[in-house]
Amino acid sequence: MSDPIIKLDDVHLTLTSRAGPVRILRGISLSIPRGQTAAIVGPSGSGKTSLLMMMAGMERATSGRITVSGRELGPLSEDGLSVLRGAEMGIVFQSFHLVPTMTALENVALPKELAGEADAFETAAALLAEVGLTARVDHFPAELSGGEQQRVAIARALSRSPHIIFADEPTGNLDGRTGKQIIDLLFGLRERRNATLVIVTHDNKLAAMTDRVIRMADGSVVADEAAEPAMRAVSS
Amino acid sequence: MTALAGVESLSHPRRAGVWTIIRLGFRELRNGFDGFRIFIACLALGVMVIAAVGALGDALRAGLTTQGETILGGDLVFARMHIRGTAQDLDAFRRLGTVSETATMRTMARRADGSDQALAELKAVDASYPLSGVATLQGGGSFIDAVSGDGVIADAMLLDRLGLKVGDDMRIGEAQLRITGILDSEPDAIVDRLTYGPRIFMSLATLDKTQLVKPGTLIRWRYAIKLPAGAASDRKALADLRKSTSEKMPDGGYTSADRFDPSPQISRALDRLRQFLILIGLASLLVGGVGIANAVSTFIDKRMKVIATLRSIGASGSQIMGIFLVQLLAMSAIGIAIGLALGVAVPSIIDAFYGDLLPVRIRVDVSLQSLGLAGLYGAIVALLFALWPLGRAENVSATVLFRDSVNATGGWPRRALIVLMVVLATVLVGIAVSTSEPRSIAAYVIAGLVVMLAVFGWLGGAIARLARRLPRQKRPALSLALRNIASPDGLTRSVVLSLGTGLSLLVVVALANAALVADLQGRLPAEAPDYFLLDIPPGDFDGLRARITQDAPGTSLVEAPMLRGRIVAIKGTPVEELKFSSDTQWVLNGDRGLSYSDSIPEGSTVTSGTWWPKDYDGPPLVSFEGEIAKKLGLGLGDSVTINVLGRNIEAKVANLREVKWESLALNFIMVFSPKTLRAAPHNLLATVRLPHDTPSDVETKMVRDIGRSYPSVSAIRVRDAIDQFSKIFAKVMVAVQVAGSVTLTAGALVLAGALVTAQRRRILEAVILKTIGARRRQILAAHAVEYALLAAIAAVVAIALGSAVAWVAVTRVMELDFVFSLNAVFLTLGVAAVMIAVFGGIGTWSILRAPAVSYLRSE
Repeated sequence: MSDPIIKLDDVHLTLTSRAGPVRILRGISLSIPRGQTAAIVGPSGSGKTSLLMMMAGMERATSGRITVSGRELGPLSEDGLSVLRGAEMGIVFQSFHLVPTMTALENVALPKELAGEADAFETAAALLAEVGLTARVDHFPAELSGGEQQRVAIARALSRSPHIIFADEPTGNLDGRTGKQIIDLLFGLRERRNATLVIVTHDNKLAAMTDRVIRMADGSVVADEAAEPAMRAVSS
Repeated sequence: MTALAGVESLSHPRRAGVWTIIRLGFRELRNGFDGFRIFIACLALGVMVIAAVGALGDALRAGLTTQGETILGGDLVFARMHIRGTAQDLDAFRRLGTVSETATMRTMARRADGSDQALAELKAVDASYPLSGVATLQGGGSFIDAVSGDGVIADAMLLDRLGLKVGDDMRIGEAQLRITGILDSEPDAIVDRLTYGPRIFMSLATLDKTQLVKPGTLIRWRYAIKLPAGAASDRKALADLRKSTSEKMPDGGYTSADRFDPSPQISRALDRLRQFLILIGLASLLVGGVGIANAVSTFIDKRMKVIATLRSIGASGSQIMGIFLVQLLAMSAIGIAIGLALGVAVPSIIDAFYGDLLPVRIRVDVSLQSLGLAGLYGAIVALLFALWPLGRAENVSATVLFRDSVNATGGWPRRALIVLMVVLATVLVGIAVSTSEPRSIAAYVIAGLVVMLAVFGWLGGAIARLARRLPRQKRPALSLALRNIASPDGLTRSVVLSLGTGLSLLVVVALANAALVADLQGRLPAEAPDYFLLDIPPGDFDGLRARITQDAPGTSLVEAPMLRGRIVAIKGTPVEELKFSSDTQWVLNGDRGLSYSDSIPEGSTVTSGTWWPKDYDGPPLVSFEGEIAKKLGLGLGDSVTINVLGRNIEAKVANLREVKWESLALNFIMVFSPKTLRAAPHNLLATVRLPHDTPSDVETKMVRDIGRSYPSVSAIRVRDAIDQFSKIFAKVMVAVQVAGSVTLTAGALVLAGALVTAQRRRILEAVILKTIGARRRQILAAHAVEYALLAAIAAVVAIALGSAVAWVAVTRVMELDFVFSLNAVFLTLGVAAVMIAVFGGIGTWSILRAPAVSYLRSE
């Protein structure tokens, strides 16, 4: 593995609520090398999603330092973070978050359109073909099944050939069979692009497919280990 | 190392161009009008009022211009008081084209036996009348034949009043005349100023027989001229012709008009009314602005996840702003287009249903300026109110996608947007002020609106905070109602703001109306005279006084010499070269009543300078009304040149007076030293004050005796004149009230929008209450208490604030005494009760009908 593409140093996240401050993350330090696949696992409320969103620049750390692709996130403005996400990252959500007024093709083309890239629609059509949705390009999200919507979301996440893919429980809203298809698709696409993949999941089988499992509890990393080869073999 | 290359481009990232943002914005429009109906309705309503007022003004002006020749009775008209045109004047007019001479005056028309009489507006015409248009008789027949010989044509109302019919005789002045026809229509009626009585037509030869015209008689001679075909066809050529002709008669004392602006008085009155109604339209647009802001805020809330998604895939704040701005502009364009379309249709609708009430037949000819102004106001208001909530969309963080945030759109928009809003507000005020005359009215209207929006905006929040602090109530309905009022995303702010602003404007219009009515009628019985007597020959006055006091003992008569003259120069400068604001220009535009006196007139107080001695014999002096003198820039010792009876007289201002106009005493702007005007032929004007409780038969006999003994004297009953004016005023007030009620409609739209927005949350709340055992009656009671409390507070504050704004408007702008009207209070409370009962009732009814299961499942 090469130099770290994601690096966290003593990162804390504390949110305020009416009842008082809530400590979500407590002093996380870790680094993820370029091209690695990593799973963040842990019980509900352990801070998995918060950790992922901080790496994606969607949540700001209360203290500590986060560096992505050699760029420290703390000093960046909201727009700076947006631009970095557009250029470097693709994000897949549990709830898909497609723009309901846009067709599948338009959703996938959107990141490139926002970046002013001329080949937005050609790339989008090719990506939709790659995820097996050529026949659905002109459909709106409401006309697609959950699995199809997640394929569109994955295609959108890959639109600008990101170096990092973040996935937040990508199969959480799907049935087991469809979830398996989506995971196979996601891992296959990642592999072809040699992108870094960080995935939040409750699913041990899915976690075992990654190079590394970061286990969290109560806002802290309680274990950080390579996935068990046996499990990986079973899963694959 | 491609990753680093990407990172290095962060400071100057490649960005989508404007067209891409527009395309993305239009893609978002696929949402349809969801959430924008109230936005469009608020905008369309305000734009419609402004466009309708503008279009109606244009149509009336176009009507005046296209029918100008008919309305005027020719291409050009020259007119003057007292003296008939000389042979040289007539020659000068005839050199221009065909001339028609007419004379108008007030007189008394009597039954042949003298048993009854009525005030009439006499018009004597020559054989060429009318040069343009057609004068017609009821039942047909030749107009000119009917006025030949001793024939007179009378208005049906006059014949009804005197119990006469065609073929009967009537007496006018010293002549006994035969009624030969009933007037149907008169093409040039509206240029004869405000008329108090029904019309009588006769020939100029018959007028001579009446012996009404004597030196000093208040008679207006008009010379209508029809130019040969092709001569002076445009506005400028006609104006030049008017000017050159007037210059040939420097002492003529003629006023002139042409067919492009046949009645400057009507044009000016229409312009004033138009400007005022446009301001009311702007008020409804600004009230609707609250609905626009609410709609955009709700829209942004609904699109929060989409905005966060765009953030997560790399969209910048400006791109997100751009995408949603495109949508708002598109919705604004639709709202403005609907408003303009409806506004343009209004003149035709008014013409179809109420055309007879208008001073001229309208011609639908809407100017781009009127539409542009309405569209511009609409666009500015839409942007002004949408930018704040839209600007907060920029602050939406991608965090929203995984963590619901209470304050996701909190914070201020960025500075550039705030600067833009300030610029838009300044432009709006600038346009409103610069297009209004006088400008102070627009400034007052806008300041009043800003105060209202600020007060009610604050009040909503204050009520919610207060409700939070109140101790818990034992009664469930009250407790629930107070919790709803206290809720941060409850209806309190919207209801108080929309209802409060709309009701305040209602109070302002009602109180301004009350002040005007009170001014016209309230103080009259105590102070005003009962009759004005016109055209009393000076030699007849003592006899007339004796006659009246014999009929009605205790009657007091006050007389004053009365002439009419026109100011032709101020401090040596001809008035044509002077420019004053329109509230002063009227003094110079036509003939004014003049008098002379050796003592300070009744109802006047000298405020500076001194009154001339009783036996003053020096050069001409004049006493000027103080306010008007100030506006004309006249001070003590300055000179004023007046044309009286075709002669220019230069007088020095000796003193300034404060005049109590509302006393309706014999007040004149200019009163001269006696020697100046005593030698000029003139008649007297007198006021008659009857003792209180004078029986009506005594009054009738007195008027009949005046008519019999002094046929040239006209008696105008003040009460009738006031009633006549009140009728005209009432028509104007209807237009103001209609425009004002549109403001209330805008408030209702805002209220409806707020209720629709809150409906889903309130249904869910009611469903939850039902699942834990609340009865429909309890929910209904809670809603009723909540709405009643909010409406009552909004109405009470609206009455207080509206009264304060009305006080400023009445005392500072209208310069009248403020009168508080309980009717305005009851009207406000009534409208508040009806509005809240209708809107709240519909909302609560659908809430109580909502099926529980579907709502609980969908949450």
